[in-house]
Amino acid sequence: MQIRMPKAMKAMAAAGALTLSTLGAHAATAPAELKIGTLYATSGPFAVASQGQYEGLQFWAAAVNKDGGVFVKSFDKKIPVKIVAYDDQSSTSTATTLYNQLITQDKVDILVADFGSVLTSVAVPLAAEHHMLLIDPTGSGANFFTKKTDYLADVSIPSSTVWPVPLGKYVLQQKIKRVAIVYDANDFDASQANTLKDVLVKGGVTPVYFHAVPTSESNYTILLHTVAATNPDAVLEFGYAPNDIAFLRALSQSGLHFNMTFTIFPGQLLSLITKNVGAKALAYTYTYPTPPLVKYDKVSYGMNTAQFVQAFQAAQHKEPNFLDSAGYNTGLIIQHMLDMAPKFEQLAFHQALMDMSGKTTTLLGEFKINENGAQLGQPFPVAQLVPEGSGTKIVVVYPDDKATGKAVYPAPKP
Amino acid sequence: MELLEYAIIGGILYGIFFSLVGIGLNLIFGVMRIINLAHGQFIVLGGYTAWLVSRHFGLNPLWAVPLSIVGAVVIGWPLYRAVVPRLQRSGDPEMLSFILFFGIGQIIEALTVLAFGADQRSLPSEALGAGNIGVLGQQFPDSWWWAAAVSLAAIAGLWAYFSHTRLGYATRAIMANRDEALATGIDVHRVSSIAFVAGLALAGIAGVFVPYLLGSVSPDLGNELTTTSFAIVIIGSLGNPLGTVVGGLVFGLGTMLMQTYYSSWSNVVPYALLLVIVLIRPSGLLGKAVRLA
Repeated sequence: MQIRMPKAMKAMAAAGALTLSTLGAHAATAPAELKIGTLYATSGPFAVASQGQYEGLQFWAAAVNKDGGVFVKSFDKKIPVKIVAYDDQSSTSTATTLYNQLITQDKVDILVADFGSVLTSVAVPLAAEHHMLLIDPTGSGANFFTKKTDYLADVSIPSSTVWPVPLGKYVLQQKIKRVAIVYDANDFDASQANTLKDVLVKGGVTPVYFHAVPTSESNYTILLHTVAATNPDAVLEFGYAPNDIAFLRALSQSGLHFNMTFTIFPGQLLSLITKNVGAKALAYTYTYPTPPLVKYDKVSYGMNTAQFVQAFQAAQHKEPNFLDSAGYNTGLIIQHMLDMAPKFEQLAFHQALMDMSGKTTTLLGEFKINENGAQLGQPFPVAQLVPEGSGTKIVVVYPDDKATGKAVYPAPKP
Repeated sequence: MELLEYAIIGGILYGIFFSLVGIGLNLIFGVMRIINLAHGQFIVLGGYTAWLVSRHFGLNPLWAVPLSIVGAVVIGWPLYRAVVPRLQRSGDPEMLSFILFFGIGQIIEALTVLAFGADQRSLPSEALGAGNIGVLGQQFPDSWWWAAAVSLAAIAGLWAYFSHTRLGYATRAIMANRDEALATGIDVHRVSSIAFVAGLALAGIAGVFVPYLLGSVSPDLGNELTTTSFAIVIIGSLGNPLGTVVGGLVFGLGTMLMQTYYSSWSNVVPYALLLVIVLIRPSGLLGKAVRLA
């Protein structure tokens, strides 16, 4: 026999369930402050980039705190942000200890990786082991994103498997047949080099030179002559900023000339590279131009690129570079994630990022991650540094719909 | 074939420069049995001196060569007075110096970051000539020739000091047998202090050319330079300055040949050579033949 519940009791039960579920969502007490744990490097090869990224994140935290903190949906209130940060000195072993400390001792609410693939690499397994979502601003090595995960999200830079696709297409469009690729033996550079090679091979171009150098390589003089012996039209070097500086300096002193030279970091740290290499040696070099060198006007969340540049200059009294923008964007993505996540839990944070994916555009472009945590949005075009007065200007040359000018190819001899 | 010639000539030039990088470390060890693990950081200081002279004061970076010698006296003399006699009284100067100078190196590195920031610093290419000089049809940047020339001059000066001066004879006597030198009335402390300062000065001079040969100088370069110097010294023969020249050349040639044919292994060269030498000839290429037990 079925017992029927009176309508009034049904309504009471429903109301009770609703109240309980609401109470459940707010069961945990809202923390007085939201702890964001991260690392930065004051020394070592990644110091300049790392400090830029950290500065950008701090700039974001200062801005939200001025406004009372970030809005956290699960607590339905604004909570001030506190950044807990340690110096890893660009060392992966120090970084491992410090990431562990942030998770287990400081018990941070949100974990943000240091700059780049090398220093992010040690955080990826550690975060997964502790079931902590790792917000990865700039670690783009393909090896991080090989399987589905709830504990990794690349937020401020495309995966290395995405970066070189426009570059490869550009090389094919220019009908350059002899291509030399020199890359550093690390996740970031090796995955870029391999992706580029794949794009070129599919287009019918097999690189005439494809070799790795140690990430700490600082002497490219002999190597450049080895490369020149293969008679390439384009020489593409994938390294970190210190590698690019050493490579471009050695090239300018070598008396060698190639029709096309590409390096990554002039597009991210133009003033640093120019200071060390000189505008003359940079003339006609190709690079990936990144915000704020390229700007996004229409955004769905936060300031657009130009507004960010203006605000950063006003607060910090200096021009932001890409890493400043990447750090700020990281904060912005965290902010959006918190105002989306219904629960204050790592898995809910991850789900919020997935929900934002493909629907959010920030100062760095479209935010779009896949289930492996790889960033597929924010693609970088290809640009050339063209002499202008005593300096250089950036001319976007590919893809055609983003181009601001035509490439000077072959590059004129100095 | 042309590539091989380029690698060999480049390797010799690079090797001569790296002889200078290692020779100061060897001189200090030879005279005092002290392993200066801050050697690389003193080289870095030479690099920053060149950067200051060139970028800040607009002078030719070669002015940093005499300034590095002055800097070595200013830093080295008080450091010697404060540290070395105590170490030598400890009974185990080699082991203690290992730890102590490692610490000093880290302090210098931190101070360098404070003073100059973490950015890498480069010098204007044209300051030492922006062209190339050719030999046997192979062209190398002017800065490489300058580095090799100044290194050869410093090594020649050291040889002249050892061969033609009373202090040099005394230094050799101490290197051969410290106790006997003391017994024959040689002022061991005076000679040691001069050798210590000279070792630091040689490091400083080498540092002037680091921004040219390695692209830039940065505070964190010190540990790598110390390790490389140490490998070069061991390959040649610990305590034998001529051995350092041989070690430097072996290192230079090895690195350049590897970079030409197996680029991703080029940084392994000093350690691989070190391993082979220690196993085959533990006292180094120019050391007395001994066998590992």
